[in-house]
Amino acid sequence: MKDRLSDALRASRADYTEIRLERTWRSAVTFRGRRLESATALEDQGGFVRVLNRGCGWGIAAFTSLDQLPAMVGRANELSRAVRLEQPIRLADVPPHQADAVLDLDGDVRGISLSDKKRLIEAYNAEMLAVDPRVVDTVASYQDEVSEYWYVNSEGTALYELRPEITLSGTAMARRNGTIEKGLESIGLRRGWNSAQDKARGFKEAAQRAAELLEAPGVKGGTYPVILDPELAGVFIHEAFGHLSEADFIYENPQAREMMTLGRRFGRPILNAGDNGAAAGLRGTLPYDDEGTPTQDTPLITEGVLVGRLHSRETAAALGEKPTGNARATSFRHPPIVRMTNTYIGNGQGTFEDLIKDVKLGVYACSAFGGQTMLENFSFTAAYGHMIRDGRVAELVKDVVIAGNLFQTLDRIDAIAGDFRWNQMGGGCGKAGQFPLAVTEGAPHVRIAEALVGGDVPGA
Amino acid sequence: MKNAIVQLLDRVRRQAGRATNADAIWRRVERTSIAFEWGRLKSAGVNEESGIGLRVLREGKAGIAGSTSGDLDGLIARAFESADLGETVELTFPSRAALPGVPTEYAAARDASLEALITIGRELIERLARDGVQVNVSLERELGETEIGNSAGGEGAYRATGVGVSADVWRVSGDDVLAISESLEGGDLPDRAALDDIVRSITTRLDAALKIVESPAGSLPVVFTPAGLSAVLLPITQALSGKAVLQGISPLASKVGETVFDPAFSITDNPLLAGRACSRPVDDEGVPSQITTLVERGVVKQFIYDLETAVRSKTRSTGHGRRGIFSKPAPGYTNLILGNGEGGSGKGEGGGLGGGLLDGIRDGLLVDDLIGVGQGNVISGAFSHPVALAYRISNGAITGRVKDAAVAGNAYDLLKRIAGWGNDARWYGSRFGPSLLLEGVSVAGR
Repeated sequence: MKDRLSDALRASRADYTEIRLERTWRSAVTFRGRRLESATALEDQGGFVRVLNRGCGWGIAAFTSLDQLPAMVGRANELSRAVRLEQPIRLADVPPHQADAVLDLDGDVRGISLSDKKRLIEAYNAEMLAVDPRVVDTVASYQDEVSEYWYVNSEGTALYELRPEITLSGTAMARRNGTIEKGLESIGLRRGWNSAQDKARGFKEAAQRAAELLEAPGVKGGTYPVILDPELAGVFIHEAFGHLSEADFIYENPQAREMMTLGRRFGRPILNAGDNGAAAGLRGTLPYDDEGTPTQDTPLITEGVLVGRLHSRETAAALGEKPTGNARATSFRHPPIVRMTNTYIGNGQGTFEDLIKDVKLGVYACSAFGGQTMLENFSFTAAYGHMIRDGRVAELVKDVVIAGNLFQTLDRIDAIAGDFRWNQMGGGCGKAGQFPLAVTEGAPHVRIAEALVGGDVPGA
Repeated sequence: MKNAIVQLLDRVRRQAGRATNADAIWRRVERTSIAFEWGRLKSAGVNEESGIGLRVLREGKAGIAGSTSGDLDGLIARAFESADLGETVELTFPSRAALPGVPTEYAAARDASLEALITIGRELIERLARDGVQVNVSLERELGETEIGNSAGGEGAYRATGVGVSADVWRVSGDDVLAISESLEGGDLPDRAALDDIVRSITTRLDAALKIVESPAGSLPVVFTPAGLSAVLLPITQALSGKAVLQGISPLASKVGETVFDPAFSITDNPLLAGRACSRPVDDEGVPSQITTLVERGVVKQFIYDLETAVRSKTRSTGHGRRGIFSKPAPGYTNLILGNGEGGSGKGEGGGLGGGLLDGIRDGLLVDDLIGVGQGNVISGAFSHPVALAYRISNGAITGRVKDAAVAGNAYDLLKRIAGWGNDARWYGSRFGPSLLLEGVSVAGR
């Protein structure tokens, strides 16, 4: 395969050429209630070529028929030449790398039968169904993949990787009369079969939570001190801040660049945040990004001050900064764009109890059903919450939606505990039609002095 | 490439004996795209993809497999492995049938050169340019070929063209980020009027957004634009899917024949419309396309089904099977038409912001985009979202953009009475409908 790639590179007439090839084996088993919804295995393969010529734009070709590779290099070159640019696209320097990285497959899923995978997820599903008769419906999914990956470019980089991934997810739906509540469990790892074992507890807890939420009142809407658990704090830093750190948003937009000027204060001195694509063993971790740049730990906020951002080679060159290894593509079907990897809020001090002990009335928001941000405005739906009363965790509440303005909210983070953890969740991030991208988030418990909590819906 | 499916089904029969039923979909897509980033044409790309999805029935159990690699024996083996684990389902594949005529391939779109796409994009960039504003435009032209076949002799094949245009303008002023976007999708290249509409839609909303005003609060009349309606309609379309009914999570499951909505409220799914990207003569399981009335004058009439959800629900497929190369079919909508069947009640010329519904609103909100639609427990009908783009209405006129506000309500309650139908019906993605004035929406300021 490497020979085919170097032949295609040599034949390219473009100034810069890069080629990615991928071959992916994926299997998936889904249960819905007691019924097997589907058990499938697929094989997906394809290639991606991207070229650049002086005075021209990017020419891109993606394809599933690998014998088309030489022709596609020619197509991409024609497309590049059709795009005339006055200001040239420059790429920041990255020294060429040659590496074979066979990640730890941790029990190669390709050697496990589909029926064994079915048995595993069936057992986790059964845990959810057994919890409570009010758990009327469940969805439990197992998914794994192994990808072979080749990347070469005309500057001498040549990479081969073998990448595993495994995700487990469970949704329990409990119903009483007209009310339906959900509990979620989600695990995502860049590991293999061995890591999917002994995960029953999380599924069981998800179902218990769904049943408990039936009895829980909706949170009363209003402004409260809010403590985010590490999972929701991680989702928050990814959605509300991480996307603004992606340099493709600002590199050609002077007003946006001004808003995100390095050195600007974003929070109190206790606040540290970053993105670490090299952190060991996480789902967002890979040795190189999809432009052949090594991944790294990139500080974004240090002691409350904006100190960095995430780059591709193009955005780094445009801003005179260094590439950070954040140019990523979800598959050969897409070009690499600036994306996060493992995004985190740095560890603080003290315990969760320290964070709540002075809170007379507040909300403890836990886990996430979802989050969305429209740049400086965000909205997160916590999976569940608890009221905090007189310094203690009190009753379970539901419909906890936290909305706010990023700048105000970051500034209102007034306490960060010392209980950092990575969220090893499934799912993924979406941007510019590329979904899902494997990412991880991490954080300790975080307190926001004041945040708007929505929830009570009249008439519902 | 008709042979791909015939060969595959032949091979399935040879390997598994006569008793095996199977169906397959073969799809080839060639997509050409260009992207203007922040005002400059930056890239041009092509994406060529083909693959085949196979479903086999062995001993009454269904198995699914897909491949882009062309290795048919591997594909068949994986489909059988999948079937061995499967649950029993009494699927009957449709036999050969006459398919309705619907134009899906447009020569102008098919033959458009890269240069032609660039010209359209450049025109939009120039028309949307103004000081302090950054513009992104992207265009995509898709040529698709689809073939479906099964062991009962059913078959369908069609070629389709699709064109998508999207434009968004960004205005960052201090810490205020304003993004306004517009897009269109269709089977053919957009005509002049369609491009004019994009420019007018963005410009109108941008001009009205420059001034920021305080949010009203309380239980208020809210005009949802065709785009803003998504939050209100999503629970309804989810509940009208036969899959949700089968799962026991659809609040409409037991309501067929009952008046649940405003007596003027109707929703129809129509795969036979000319010029729409979602139109097709046959669904992805070989069932001929047909128009399906889901809600008629407030009365729930019909859910959508694919073959499997239909047989499990003891009914017939409505021709809404949708599948990718790799996935099991599931019910999916085509073009959704929302209407009261008699034009809008809004006053004045069509096309203005608010669809002529602002008159008589003393204090209210116009909602064009919300944050977080689709999150949470959607199907219950309850929603609560901060606004992404909304305007205050005071004394019958828009006074400015509202930033820190959230709207909440329950779709089932709100749609019981529709206080006004706008005169601005348009396509938003694959949905056609006007602005709606709904009363008693909970609006919270901050």
